[in-house]
Amino acid sequence: MSRPAVFVLASGAVTAAGTGVPALLQAATDEAWQPEVGLERPDAPPLPVAVCRGFSAREVLPPLVARRLDRPARLLAVAAREALAPLGEPLPWPRERIGVAAATWNAGTSALLEVLRAVFLASPEEAPPAQFPSTVANAPASQLGILEKLGGPNLTVAEKQAGGLRALAEAARMLERGRADAVLACGVDEADWVNAEGYDRLGALRTVGRPGMVLGEGAGVLVLAREPGPAPLAVLAGWGSAGAPAPPHRYPARPEALVDACRGALRRATLAPGDVELAVSLSNGIPALAALELESLQAVLGTHRPAAFSAADRLGEGAFSGTVRALLAAHILAGTATVAWPVPGHLAGAGFRAISGRPRTALVAAAAGGGSAVALVLTAA
Amino acid sequence: MREAWITGIGLVSALGPDRETTWRRLLAGESGIGPLTLFDPAAYRTRIAAQVDDASLRLPALPRTVERHASRASRFALSAAAEALADAALPTEQPQVWALVLGGGTAGLFEAEGFVARRLRGGPRVRGLSELIEVPQDAPSDRVAEAFGLTGPRITVTTACSSSTIAVGIAAELVTDGEVPVALTGGADALCRLTYAGFNSLRAVDTEPARPFDRRRKGLSLGEGAALLVIEEAEHARRRGARPYARVLGYGVTNDAFHRTQPEPSGTAWERTIRAALADAAVSEGDVGYINGHGTATEQNDPAECAAYRRVFRDRLAELPVSSIKGALGHCLCAAGGIEAAVAALAIARGTLPPTAGFGEADPACPVDPIPGTGRSASVRVALSSSFAFGGNSGVLVLGSCG
Repeated sequence: MSRPAVFVLASGAVTAAGTGVPALLQAATDEAWQPEVGLERPDAPPLPVAVCRGFSAREVLPPLVARRLDRPARLLAVAAREALAPLGEPLPWPRERIGVAAATWNAGTSALLEVLRAVFLASPEEAPPAQFPSTVANAPASQLGILEKLGGPNLTVAEKQAGGLRALAEAARMLERGRADAVLACGVDEADWVNAEGYDRLGALRTVGRPGMVLGEGAGVLVLAREPGPAPLAVLAGWGSAGAPAPPHRYPARPEALVDACRGALRRATLAPGDVELAVSLSNGIPALAALELESLQAVLGTHRPAAFSAADRLGEGAFSGTVRALLAAHILAGTATVAWPVPGHLAGAGFRAISGRPRTALVAAAAGGGSAVALVLTAA
Repeated sequence: MREAWITGIGLVSALGPDRETTWRRLLAGESGIGPLTLFDPAAYRTRIAAQVDDASLRLPALPRTVERHASRASRFALSAAAEALADAALPTEQPQVWALVLGGGTAGLFEAEGFVARRLRGGPRVRGLSELIEVPQDAPSDRVAEAFGLTGPRITVTTACSSSTIAVGIAAELVTDGEVPVALTGGADALCRLTYAGFNSLRAVDTEPARPFDRRRKGLSLGEGAALLVIEEAEHARRRGARPYARVLGYGVTNDAFHRTQPEPSGTAWERTIRAALADAAVSEGDVGYINGHGTATEQNDPAECAAYRRVFRDRLAELPVSSIKGALGHCLCAAGGIEAAVAALAIARGTLPPTAGFGEADPACPVDPIPGTGRSASVRVALSSSFAFGGNSGVLVLGSCG
């Protein structure tokens, strides 16, 4: 059965680099760019989180609308407005045929904390009713659906760091199955101290003397459709996924799941490992993940060494970072981005090189604590 | 054309720790809603819930770390998964490239709430580590994959009360698309203070056990539990002589784009979901013989839901059985759709429809046949299982007989 192509038409983002894709692409041209890191928490030193400082929805959303939305929903709404803008008004598809496939690792944590603060420090009857609906993880995607009157499938997935790529794969499947004409594939995360402190206690965050990840805040949106439109960024040519048994807070000891996910994505794209010209690294600063990535890429690519760069170690880790890595890959393939961020050390040491010229095929993979892995193959449109 | 057969079912509910106990008591019209004992409800407006008896759970042999740290939600999922796999008579000794698609709810939040309470009161030096491991909503999925060595795609859907309905739909799609021969699917959710206080704050909870579709209904009762279904490609099942309960014919998923918590009252939004499901399953309205409704027993949900059914089934609705098991099992939130899909599959396989526990007085706004009292014999070839969630994330499954 021939599969219908899935095109990446447009993008939007809010990251620690600023509001909008241009701010992100500008940061990517600067080899030395690093976000300001630090999230305040009560009674203790700040935690390593790359926050979207200065973010405001004011220029994009009417004040009364913005006030109704919690922060993750605002981040997502602003990114989605940017992604939808170039497609014109009216949009090329009926809004009830436009879906949303979102991922989040932690959206709703701030609202959850407000409800629990009332429960534990005042009385359960003081729990704020306006906050409770924001505690559910699907709140940002649902709010987006309400705001933009998108009546197609509205899905939110939770797969920790791999969620952003899972949302892209599920968006593509919705299109292949004809459940929607276009889908906004999204990732969104918020910066909340309780969530970050949890990962700090688990020893996963970077501190002085301890390698680890920096968590991130932000939102990314890619508009996918079955028709290319006038100026597609890229083609989502394949995706694959697999799992390896592991506890929820640990990466698996072996790379098989990542290998299977990458091979599945290449197979679906009908491409060979040697066709990969860009590997968007999943490295986030955790040594175990770097080792896992190197082993898996060596198994998938053999002696082939494409260009590589990493982003999650700068923008912060999260479900949104997978979306943003795919977004950067799409812009590189389209020739609208030049990424100067260096090849991560573990890949440079194995012969992966910096980007030169304009790659035509990109492999983007993610691995989550607990052992789930997802990979995508994007090709030039 | 591949078919997605349901060849194994595992259930954990307030009515019992397994499929047969839950089914038997459900048909008898019993309710599992009673005093909440998981935490002290004295300061809450309501004090009841459909709570699972932890001591009755039948857990599989687990690695020591899982045994020590698995949350209640994960234990529900593990117990239901073990029962479903045993019911399907599938081997579990070796790693299997099967998909795992679950609805993810509060996961380990009940356990993490203990840490949050200490942290808010005691500052950063309070102890707390193991309670935080299962905060991510996909943690029960990870635990099931870890315990049973599942190496296929692992997807956790988190769309509030429609989570596990959509999960079952996606799992069936992975099977009919030929991605995997077998998928384990459903959902698990556990009671916690957040949802208990939250639904109370919305005044959505009845102080008495829920009465779906009843004129006197005043809100839902919260519940907890799990359902895991084995969905298997039909030829794969036939080759090993497996006995199917039912098959997944298709599903519909849409967004109301209306309101965060309120249903669209005319039923037009949910009509779209139902019609999308029927179209996906390639069946007509006239084929449907039973609906396992969302039936939360809130003042607004039930009339809006019935309005949607009325739009689709018109005058036929009066004779179409529509029951809600939330009067018996409570609203199990992200596990509800999986549990209801499992019950709908059992209804098809066994020719008996579950009643709506708690129903007593008809409501003109809910003109359905809710199956009052006890289970009713009926031969059903096609059934719907509906879930309409917070944020307007709606999902409807279409199940059919394999005969």
